[in-house]
Amino acid sequence: MRNQFDDDEEPPANPADAVAQAAEMFQKNAGKLAPIVGALALAIVIWLGTFTVAPGEQAVIRTFGRESGKRGPGLHFVFPFIQRYDKVNVEKIQQVEVGFRGEERVPIEALMLTGDENIVEAQMIVQFKIKDPSLYLFRLDDAEGTLRSTAEVSLRSMVGRTSIDEVITTGREDVQRETQLLMQRLMDQYQSGIQVTEIKLQAVDAPDEVRDAFHDVVRAREEKEKLINQARGYQEDLIPKARGEAREIERQAEGYKQERVLKANGDAAKFSATLAEYSKAEKVTRQRMYLESMERVLGSLKNKVIVDRELGRSTLPLLPLGAQGLASLPAVGGAK
Amino acid sequence: MSLKSIGWALLLVLVFLGWSSFFVVDERELSIVVEFGEWKRSVEHPGLQFKLPWQTVYTVESRVLSSDTPPAEYLTLDKKRLVADPVTRWKITDPLQFYQRVNDEVGAKARIDAIVNSEMRREFAGRNFGEIIGNAREPLMLRVTEEARKQTRTFGIHVVDIRIKRADLPKEVQESVFQRMRAERDRVAKRYRSEGSEEASKIRADTDKEKTILLAGAYEASQRLRGDGDAESIKIYANAFNVDPEFYAFMRSLETYEKAIGTDTSMVLSTGSEFFRYFNQQQK
Repeated sequence: MRNQFDDDEEPPANPADAVAQAAEMFQKNAGKLAPIVGALALAIVIWLGTFTVAPGEQAVIRTFGRESGKRGPGLHFVFPFIQRYDKVNVEKIQQVEVGFRGEERVPIEALMLTGDENIVEAQMIVQFKIKDPSLYLFRLDDAEGTLRSTAEVSLRSMVGRTSIDEVITTGREDVQRETQLLMQRLMDQYQSGIQVTEIKLQAVDAPDEVRDAFHDVVRAREEKEKLINQARGYQEDLIPKARGEAREIERQAEGYKQERVLKANGDAAKFSATLAEYSKAEKVTRQRMYLESMERVLGSLKNKVIVDRELGRSTLPLLPLGAQGLASLPAVGGAK
Repeated sequence: MSLKSIGWALLLVLVFLGWSSFFVVDERELSIVVEFGEWKRSVEHPGLQFKLPWQTVYTVESRVLSSDTPPAEYLTLDKKRLVADPVTRWKITDPLQFYQRVNDEVGAKARIDAIVNSEMRREFAGRNFGEIIGNAREPLMLRVTEEARKQTRTFGIHVVDIRIKRADLPKEVQESVFQRMRAERDRVAKRYRSEGSEEASKIRADTDKEKTILLAGAYEASQRLRGDGDAESIKIYANAFNVDPEFYAFMRSLETYEKAIGTDTSMVLSTGSEFFRYFNQQQK
């Protein structure tokens, strides 16, 4: 920015002369031109220096390069050329994606090593806002790029301390929280003026190459549960039935016992009663009972052979016996 | 040349001198004032500054800068290879030293990259792979940072920190890791499955055992009951029949004949039997 006064349309031989001419012209017409030029200059200054700050924004004013104040939402004025302003939105939550962009996965960002030397694929969304516009504007070069690489640094160092099983299942929340803490610490250290408002771990899964094997583990775990449940079902089916059966056996035995006792009592009562009367007329009763019995026994027999006592000794072996053989003879002469 | 034009020329010269006597240092800058190649002073605060018109001003960044060293392969103590991608954050603290020693940011980045690279190589060589990935990463990088700080101090640079953005296995090694992971998962899956059938068998066996015991218990109780019943009935019978055992034998025999001799039974009766006692009487 050096003066360019000598760059006229017709360069006169002597630059000083040209300047003198211009000055003369100005002097002649100064009286008429002054208010117009002044008003024009003022209009330009106002036009250049006026600006609005939208809601949620803050403007940082620099006077001769040095920060000289901040302005909130509204209409403001700075002196052009001397002052400058930068507007920063301090309320808008912005977001960067790590490990993916929209629908597309970015494996080089997403694949990382876990503490047990496995490889896991993790995707993360980082939400942030600018908490300190002065720091954001003047203390860190390429804040956005820094944010992205710091997000990667933080996530990787947290995942690097955790085993793959933890990262995928229970340790997820921890990793998320620790990553945010580390990231905020680093961003503060870099004087970024950025507040990390939230970190959301999206998919954390085994890489494509081994995903099937991982899913098979999940299936195996479900199969285990299924087998156990089936066995429980077997148990729940069988035990009550067995209890019922046991109860049945016991009840039957109880019945049997009662039956035996009652029958014995009955038989005993019958015998005692019979005996009581029998004793009163022993001989006659005995004879009667015997004959009655014999009547019933022999009366119903279809095959009867009556052999005379004398013949009996010799003929008996010669009798043609029925096919089924001769029934053993009861002691017919039992009665005395 | 009139007196007036000389006056105007003088004014112009004054304006020019005034213009070149001031310079602005921005919030994002540090400056040094140089007079014919000789350092005069450093300006580390932003604002409007005065200088002599013939002095020149050199300006450098005061913000935190990044230097993303390209990924390189490192060898660890356990002879594994690791591809690491370090990022260095640094800023210029002394513009004079910076200007003298490295001249500009590009030069500085080259120097920093070289230092970071060799420091990391040294540190990594003393650590096992697992440590670098895991818990030793932080202290290790702190030491690299510390060392880099020491070495770059004379460049007028302060290294804020050095972090490993990515630490990966070389492409050729990845496949073997995947194979190992698959084998591990297979092992776990098999374990789950056999644990499942183990547990199921246990439950079934327990169930069968319980059932057997239940039934046996019931059998025991039932036999006891039956025995009790039999014993009691024997006692009752014995008590009753003992009053006249002969009558019992007589009566029971009669009952037995009636039951045992059916209609299909063939019988040979001798007239000499008690039954026919009166049958023969007429002959006598």
